[in-house]
Amino acid sequence: MSLLELKNVYKIYGELHALDDVNFKVEKGEWVSIMGPSGSGKSTMMNIIGCMDKPTKGEVLLDGVDIAKESKKNLTTIRRDKIGLIFQQFHLVNYLTAVENVMLAQYYHSIPDEKEALEALERVGLADRAKHLPSQLSGGEQQRVCVARALINYPEIILADEPTGNLDEANEEIVVDLFNKLHKDGTTLIVVTHDPEVAEVAQRKIVLRSGRIAKEVVNENFTGKIRFTD
Amino acid sequence: MFLRSVRGTLFRQWKKMIMIAFTIALGASLASAMLLVMLDVGDKVNQELKTYGANITVVPKAESVLDDLYEIEGQNTSGAYLNEDDLGKIKTIFWAFNIVDFAPFVNAQAELQDGSRVTVVGSWYSHHMKLPTGEELDAGIESLRSWWELKEGSWLSERTASADSRDAMIGVNLAQRLGAKAGSVITVKGADGVSRDFNVTGVFDAGGEEDSYLYTYLANAQEIAGISGKIDSIEVSAITTPDNELAELATKNGPSSLTVSQYEKWYCTAYASSICWQIQEAIPNCIASPVRQVADSEGAILEKTQLLMILITILSLIGAALGICNLVTATVMERSQEIGLMKAIGANNSSISLLVLTEIFITAIIGGIAGFFAGFGFAQIIGHSVFGSAIEFRIMVVPIVAVLVVIVTLIGCIPAIKMLLGLRPTEVLHGR
Amino acid sequence: MKKRRMFIKMILASLMRRRSRMVVALLSIAIGATILSGLISIYYDVPRQMGAEFRNYGANMIFTASGAEFTLDDVNEGRAVIDESKIVGVAPFRYENVRINEKPVVAAGTDPDGVKKTSPYWRITGNALEKNGQLLVGANIADTFRLKEGQMIDVSYTPEGMEQVDENGDRAVIEDNIKSFTVAGILDTGGKEEDYVYMTLADMAELSGTQGRIDAAELSISATADELSDYADKINSTVGSVHASLVKRVTASEATVLTKLQALVLLVTIVVLALTMICVATTMTAVVAERRKEIGLRKAIGASDSSIIKEFMGESMLLGLFGGLIGAVLGFVFAQEVSINVFSSPISFRPLLLPITVLVSIIVTGLSSLMPIRSATDVDPALVLKGE
Repeated sequence: MSLLELKNVYKIYGELHALDDVNFKVEKGEWVSIMGPSGSGKSTMMNIIGCMDKPTKGEVLLDGVDIAKESKKNLTTIRRDKIGLIFQQFHLVNYLTAVENVMLAQYYHSIPDEKEALEALERVGLADRAKHLPSQLSGGEQQRVCVARALINYPEIILADEPTGNLDEANEEIVVDLFNKLHKDGTTLIVVTHDPEVAEVAQRKIVLRSGRIAKEVVNENFTGKIRFTD
Repeated sequence: MFLRSVRGTLFRQWKKMIMIAFTIALGASLASAMLLVMLDVGDKVNQELKTYGANITVVPKAESVLDDLYEIEGQNTSGAYLNEDDLGKIKTIFWAFNIVDFAPFVNAQAELQDGSRVTVVGSWYSHHMKLPTGEELDAGIESLRSWWELKEGSWLSERTASADSRDAMIGVNLAQRLGAKAGSVITVKGADGVSRDFNVTGVFDAGGEEDSYLYTYLANAQEIAGISGKIDSIEVSAITTPDNELAELATKNGPSSLTVSQYEKWYCTAYASSICWQIQEAIPNCIASPVRQVADSEGAILEKTQLLMILITILSLIGAALGICNLVTATVMERSQEIGLMKAIGANNSSISLLVLTEIFITAIIGGIAGFFAGFGFAQIIGHSVFGSAIEFRIMVVPIVAVLVVIVTLIGCIPAIKMLLGLRPTEVLHGR
Repeated sequence: MKKRRMFIKMILASLMRRRSRMVVALLSIAIGATILSGLISIYYDVPRQMGAEFRNYGANMIFTASGAEFTLDDVNEGRAVIDESKIVGVAPFRYENVRINEKPVVAAGTDPDGVKKTSPYWRITGNALEKNGQLLVGANIADTFRLKEGQMIDVSYTPEGMEQVDENGDRAVIEDNIKSFTVAGILDTGGKEEDYVYMTLADMAELSGTQGRIDAAELSISATADELSDYADKINSTVGSVHASLVKRVTASEATVLTKLQALVLLVTIVVLALTMICVATTMTAVVAERRKEIGLRKAIGASDSSIIKEFMGESMLLGLFGGLIGAVLGFVFAQEVSINVFSSPISFRPLLLPITVLVSIIVTGLSSLMPIRSATDVDPALVLKGE
């Protein structure tokens, strides 16, 4: 059984078909990127997979459960337990320190544990910045805090929405390296991006166009390393 | 473009702008309600204090050492009287408008059937009169003696009685002594030896010496005393301004000691002493003097009430001001992103400040106007539920509230604008 | 346990690290609470303070003899029934007919200190009655006899019951008691007091040759009309020698005016409070609205609606607590200032007002943030996070 399976998923806003009969599967431990121009339905798909929205029609099976049929409240629980979110704008709580931001995810999930949160920060290489407020961190560092927050509860899937959109190349590389590390540890990664370089790194690339899957490319020589084309 | 931008904010951000307008309206309504009430409270409380009865008494000039002295109760020994015809003149003086009520008195001694003596007082009860000015007025002791408690029956009233009706009200002590109640008939023999029958319409409890008196219409008492067309004294209830140094000076040394400008000011202020002076001018051969117990206490209570209201008003003005400041600051600060963008596309500080200020002020004006009318409404609610009368509209409150709103809004904008000007567009646009 | 610690840590972090915003909110809550506690203190103190002002009108209870004998001891016995702290002043009076320049005049013997308190409205040119040997002369009497302050004057009194007829049928010559007085001042009241002369009780006793007897006592008591009539009833039933009666003119009028004044302050308080609370509410709405994004984020990383409501409510209620505490103290200071400025006497401290103010400010802050928090939790996190 696949970890995530979308079957005939539609999302319709009035006349607009944001998603139009989308079908795909993500296996456990896979690293998939979803690409497409603006308006292709990337965000809608990301919201549906992230349990923040429901499809108009179709099934979304996460770990065998059809989340399209779950109530809003249950969606919150599922999101909490199974999905780690990473955003383009980082979205850290600006009055909490790095480690507290990580602990926030623990807090809503189960019990906050500062030691574990520190370990997570160490994994993203920010052990020494744990007590800093977001405003004292660089963009890359903030995004790494975000990654630490996303993985703290050992989610089934880490869902990243344009994770490198606000980062320079150096930080982009650091974040991609982090993803590689997570991938090696067996985490399932879904990265929504329109940056081809970031999309290329993944094992499999799904390209959306006008709400439909235009093509699927399997990365034959997957290394987990970003290659910049200057 | 500027106008379009302002319009854009007002219409598209209407929710936030409504919130600012609402807060300003609240503040303005609070300020105007309190100011209106404060400015009117003096008059209103003054009216209330009229329940203490007359604050000015008028007696004939020659009468100085009164009957009390000789313990010959009620009989006017000095032989000096005021003319009943002069009564209306009281309402022709400069401060006529401030005279709320007045009543003439005639005291006569009479003999009851059992031979005991009784004081018969003639007065007005609710005497309707047409003044030379065309005004109409109900004057009399029904309102001048508001503390009288009617034990049974009803008040005398000139309006229901015929000119020669022999009705009387008696005090509780007299009623007890005679075993009389409403409906009884009391026979009274006057100085002229003629017996007259009086129908008792009511029994009152005054809690004072009046409790053993018999009260009847003026004409009846004049007949018993044998002084038709004459009266012994007049009690006047007037709305007065609390005495100040000028009034003290006039009382102490007489109005003639004042300089012309002082005299003018004194004469044109409703001090008890200047009203007395004017009554003396209007009615020949009389002495009008303030009843200190009432006049002075009134002054003290009025002053305290006004001071209290002023302080409460100040507190609520400060509260309203800070409330508006707070919200304006909070709302303007929220717009940092938009303003960062404007800076990024080349807006300079002054044009941004101008934009923000214009928007806020248009909102403030709308809120202020709405608030003023709401405040006027609040003031009326207070006026009607406490004093049973409307609070006067005072034009001076408009500029005060307007200035207040402008200053407060401006102050509220300052920290926000300072913050906005300090913004660096890159920071704002990078999501922070 | 750990979860609670994180909860507290978060709230404190929010309050401490977002200092400027929180100060704005705290300020507005504190102002609201100040107005609340200040106005309520004033409201409760107005009857007491204003009541004291109304004592300007003078005596509101009169003691007279109910039996034949009436002395100062009887007055004191009656006075003992009344709560001592409410008594403003007591002035005993003894009236006698005396003669000045052979003309009859009513003289009153009284206690100079008492009369100052029961008749504060007396206007005296010259000095008030202070000691034996002085005479306070009513304005009308002063007019008649052309008396001036500082003048010496003889007052004579014919003792009662001394008149005897001897065996020849001739009347015995009765010796009048004569005493010299200095005119201390001229009394101007606009009432019948202007026709009397006043002296001390001791002088009166000396002049008349009889001790102890008095005619009436005026009492000025700072109490409501109901309390006064209770006192009067109690005295009439328990103290046999005294008949207490109320001066209706003063008590009834005072009740009317005081009721209105208190109603005025009450209504003003309600209006001011209502408007202030709405102000606090709008401020809290603005404060919460500002944080919609954060609420969206918390939802995205898995917070349930109830836990978000709990956190934000905790935060605003904590603000309410601090604001309430500050406000309660400031309000007391304000009421104290008002009281001292207006009535020149301190306000009575009401300990109960502190918890009430704090509680009300917590409730108002809480309720006014609940609405915007609720509406913020309804928002789709995806929308908020997209930066709309």
